[in-house]
Amino acid sequence: MVQRGLKGGQLRLLTRKEARNIHLASLEVLEDVGMRSPSEKILGVFEDAGAEIDRKDRRVRMPQHLVEESLRKAPREIVFCGRNPKNDLLLEDGRIYFGLGGTPVPYIRDVETGEIRRPTKKDMADATRVGDALPNIKFIMSIAGAFDVPYQAEYLHEFEALFNNTEKPILYSCPGTYAAQKVLEMASTIVGGRDELKKKPILTLYSETVTPLAFSTTNENIIEFAKAGVPFTNGPMPMLGGTAPMTLSGAGVVSNCENLATLTLSQLVNPHAPVIYTCWATAMDPVTSRCSYGAPEFALGTSVLDATMAHYYGLPSYGFGGCSDSKLPDAQAGAEVMMNSMMAGLCGVNLIHDCGYLAGGSIGSIEMAVICNEIIGMVSRIVKGIEVSDETLAVDVIRAVGPEGHFMSQKHTLKHLEKELFFPKLFDRTSEVTWAKAGKKDLRDVANEKAKKILKEHFAEPLPKDVERQLAQIVKEAEKELLKKG
Amino acid sequence: MSQHAILDEVANAVQAFDPDKVMEATKKALAAGIDPAVIIEQGLAKGLRIVGKKFEDGELFLMHLVAAAEPAQKAIRELVEPEIKKRKGERKSLGKVVLGTVAGDIHDIGKNIVGAMLIAAGFDVYDIGKDVPTEQFVNKAKEVNAHIVGASALLSTSLPMQHEIVKALVTEGIRNEVKLMFGGAPVTEEWVREIGGDGYAENAVEAVKAAKKLLKIKD
Repeated sequence: MVQRGLKGGQLRLLTRKEARNIHLASLEVLEDVGMRSPSEKILGVFEDAGAEIDRKDRRVRMPQHLVEESLRKAPREIVFCGRNPKNDLLLEDGRIYFGLGGTPVPYIRDVETGEIRRPTKKDMADATRVGDALPNIKFIMSIAGAFDVPYQAEYLHEFEALFNNTEKPILYSCPGTYAAQKVLEMASTIVGGRDELKKKPILTLYSETVTPLAFSTTNENIIEFAKAGVPFTNGPMPMLGGTAPMTLSGAGVVSNCENLATLTLSQLVNPHAPVIYTCWATAMDPVTSRCSYGAPEFALGTSVLDATMAHYYGLPSYGFGGCSDSKLPDAQAGAEVMMNSMMAGLCGVNLIHDCGYLAGGSIGSIEMAVICNEIIGMVSRIVKGIEVSDETLAVDVIRAVGPEGHFMSQKHTLKHLEKELFFPKLFDRTSEVTWAKAGKKDLRDVANEKAKKILKEHFAEPLPKDVERQLAQIVKEAEKELLKKG
Repeated sequence: MSQHAILDEVANAVQAFDPDKVMEATKKALAAGIDPAVIIEQGLAKGLRIVGKKFEDGELFLMHLVAAAEPAQKAIRELVEPEIKKRKGERKSLGKVVLGTVAGDIHDIGKNIVGAMLIAAGFDVYDIGKDVPTEQFVNKAKEVNAHIVGASALLSTSLPMQHEIVKALVTEGIRNEVKLMFGGAPVTEEWVREIGGDGYAENAVEAVKAAKKLLKIKD
């Protein structure tokens, strides 16, 4: 049964009129400035559709009607599937789901030693298993990366680790045409063919345009996924004052342009191909030049803009939460994660990714992912809000108990107890005496114990042996091919 | 107007982050017959040094550095260097640096910032852009007789291209004529050592220090 996630979207900091202004500004930029593309294939798609192509500058300028028509064609609702159908997610206006990690990270915090080191394919598999186990994590990306395989085939190895170790929906990258074809082949092998995959997309592609306003040849993967009818999302990185204007709304325009451009590309390739929309503005720290994942502007830029514009277009959306600039799962990480998760939840971003990302996406932390799981529980409770009805106003119960009574044994109490309260699984609410007797544990230690327990105990239902072998074979052959290409 | 006042105007234009004023003031200085080397040293570079100092003190930000360095670099390239050539002189700088983002990688913000910092410190920077094929690093280094080649990479999949640059320079027989610096988020000191590079820096400020150290320039 498809999961119908909690509906966020209560927080609307921008009006419909302001959304419209961002839309109009984007149409103007796409028509006047356009996008540059080193990819002849991508230029060709736009050329066939009648867009203005400047071959010398490799620029495509998109007429408004082309973009508007494409927007109308994209589906409003997508079911993002897990290989186990109990994990299927209904993506539509405002329903929120949190996901583990993002694209591969250069470092991981070792759960055994606390050392910050290069991740391996085994870490990739381990991180995936943890994401598979955590109940508030609904889709899987990565907080590791396979640094111990030939780099040419890195993404294919990572996909193999993902497919083998989770039954939840997978969102991940595979740059360019060839890798995309191979990953689609792997996914088809799992679900039993291309037609099945279209009906049951167990993965979504994450592609990335070059901000500001350029495609790269890696974006040819969008063409492959659109053809296959499997969802994709595009994540531009407009950093305030770096790769985009210094203002959040200006950066939103740049981001929106790139996403309308990729959306248009997909609809030209295959009308009604599923698209998960994004509109992101991020903050470049003006001292270190690093993209700050814990900045308040990042939370505003990736949640408010994203949800506002997705709501305006009526498209499913993809954004950020659960990420921090801190190097440790510490107080800074807790504060930043709560801020960006809460913003994403209240704004109603559909797919909220990067849970467990530390150091602005440089370090993956399994302990942090475990802490995120708890924070998501709290955020979800807030998003659920306060129900006001005759039943919840409980006048009859108040009357029955009367002055100086208590409510503990009321049927109404027992009926609503579990619905009304959030129950912490990780955070400690015991007294200082109990806490001291239990060894005065820091949350980090508790999360570490939990992480180790999951790693020891949790394994996703394995793929059938022959499927597992076929996936390994696809990766092996593709690696050979990719190494030949260099 | 005294020579001193004209040079101050150049330095002030750099500090005002005003590209038009920088060009205008530099033209004025040249028209007044001031030695081009002095225009750089006591005008453009002086302005950059002040901006750089303010950055280090936390008064200004990276954007200011780039906004000062770009117009100064343009004025040097388009106005001052031609005059130096006319006088059959050679521009004095701390050293020539060829800078680019490696093949298969389009992330260039970090590289641009390092470039601005190096320019501000007095290096002569040749920025060859992003997604740059390995041979282009080699060719440019040969063409300008570079002292340093710097290559940036952000992706785990493009990181190995830094190693390719080392190998290409070895093949061309000019490995020992240049110092090699590598940067980017996934780059570590160990990695640079492993692939046979010379310098690594954690950020743009450190990159300038590392460049100076490699060329044995005292602060």
